[in-house]
Amino acid sequence: MHFSNYRQQFWEGVRDLLPLVSGVLPFGLIAGATGVALGMSPEMIMGMTVLFYAGSAQLAAYQLIQDNAPFVIIVLTSVVVNLRFAIYSATFAPLIAPLKARYRYPLAYLLSDQAYGLCNVPEQLDRSTGERLWYLTGVATSMCVAWILSVLLGVALGTSIPAHWSLEFTIPLAFLAMLVSTITSRLLFIVAVVAGLGAIAFQLLPYNLGFTLAVIAGVCCGIWLPGLVRRGGQSNG
Amino acid sequence: MDNLTLWGLFFAVGLGTYLVRLSFIQLHGSTQALLERSKTILMLLPPAILAALCIPAIVFQRPTTEYQLDWIQILAGLVTVLIAHFSRSVFWPVVGGMLCLWLARWLISGNAV
Repeated sequence: MHFSNYRQQFWEGVRDLLPLVSGVLPFGLIAGATGVALGMSPEMIMGMTVLFYAGSAQLAAYQLIQDNAPFVIIVLTSVVVNLRFAIYSATFAPLIAPLKARYRYPLAYLLSDQAYGLCNVPEQLDRSTGERLWYLTGVATSMCVAWILSVLLGVALGTSIPAHWSLEFTIPLAFLAMLVSTITSRLLFIVAVVAGLGAIAFQLLPYNLGFTLAVIAGVCCGIWLPGLVRRGGQSNG
Repeated sequence: MDNLTLWGLFFAVGLGTYLVRLSFIQLHGSTQALLERSKTILMLLPPAILAALCIPAIVFQRPTTEYQLDWIQILAGLVTVLIAHFSRSVFWPVVGGMLCLWLARWLISGNAV
């Protein structure tokens, strides 16, 4: 395989990412502008953006900072919101794990929802390892650049956005939209309902404990419910 | 939270997130069994966390101490769910929900948004 072929894969990845920028840009604007609205300095917001490189965790952290949640809860929540990256890590492991450390570590940092989505379509999975790696590199680096520039633009525009637009309400709405896309079965719907109702019921508890309890309640429900239903079905039959 | 604490927070989350990203890549080969066992919880966590994060913020007015229901926000949330159900993106549902929020507020107050 010639290097020129790989370069072609790289640019193909960049090109495929471009349409997704329409979704990344407003999300980045929100992340940047919300940070400004919370009174954070531009260098702090950009530092947070580069360190996290995860929009939903950043919004979750904003929300919890606003709620005066304790340090540990914010760290745990933000990392747990990012647990889906473990799935991406496992998916890309056969591709990235054999690489030298100097390629492996940066590529791990660059993993994103968009990279996962674009690189796991059947057309890509049929290609050679080298082609897939360069395609991934193209998608992932351009995604990272697009994200950081979007947040930067949000920071620049932040102060010019009037407060009565309630732009901060886009955060729960964005989570709600993500929630809808994660619900792929009736069980996951029940888990979401239990966690949502739990969060309402427990919200008066101190230290943001209600949030954690609600998540645990939802997950436990998801673990035990299939067993209960199966046992119930057996006793009936 | 003061700035130093916030920087500490950002570094902690950044490191944690990076380790999650690196996890299976670094441990490739020795983790397939663990992955299989934790698959259920990994699948259940996202909907539970997202629901717990957004539902109270949408149902109740914020910032508040009295937890008053906000019907306009709930309506905007329903619009978002409806659009998200068809579009699968995050952008358009949020735009739809915000337009609904502004429109409903404008209709009720009679003032320009």
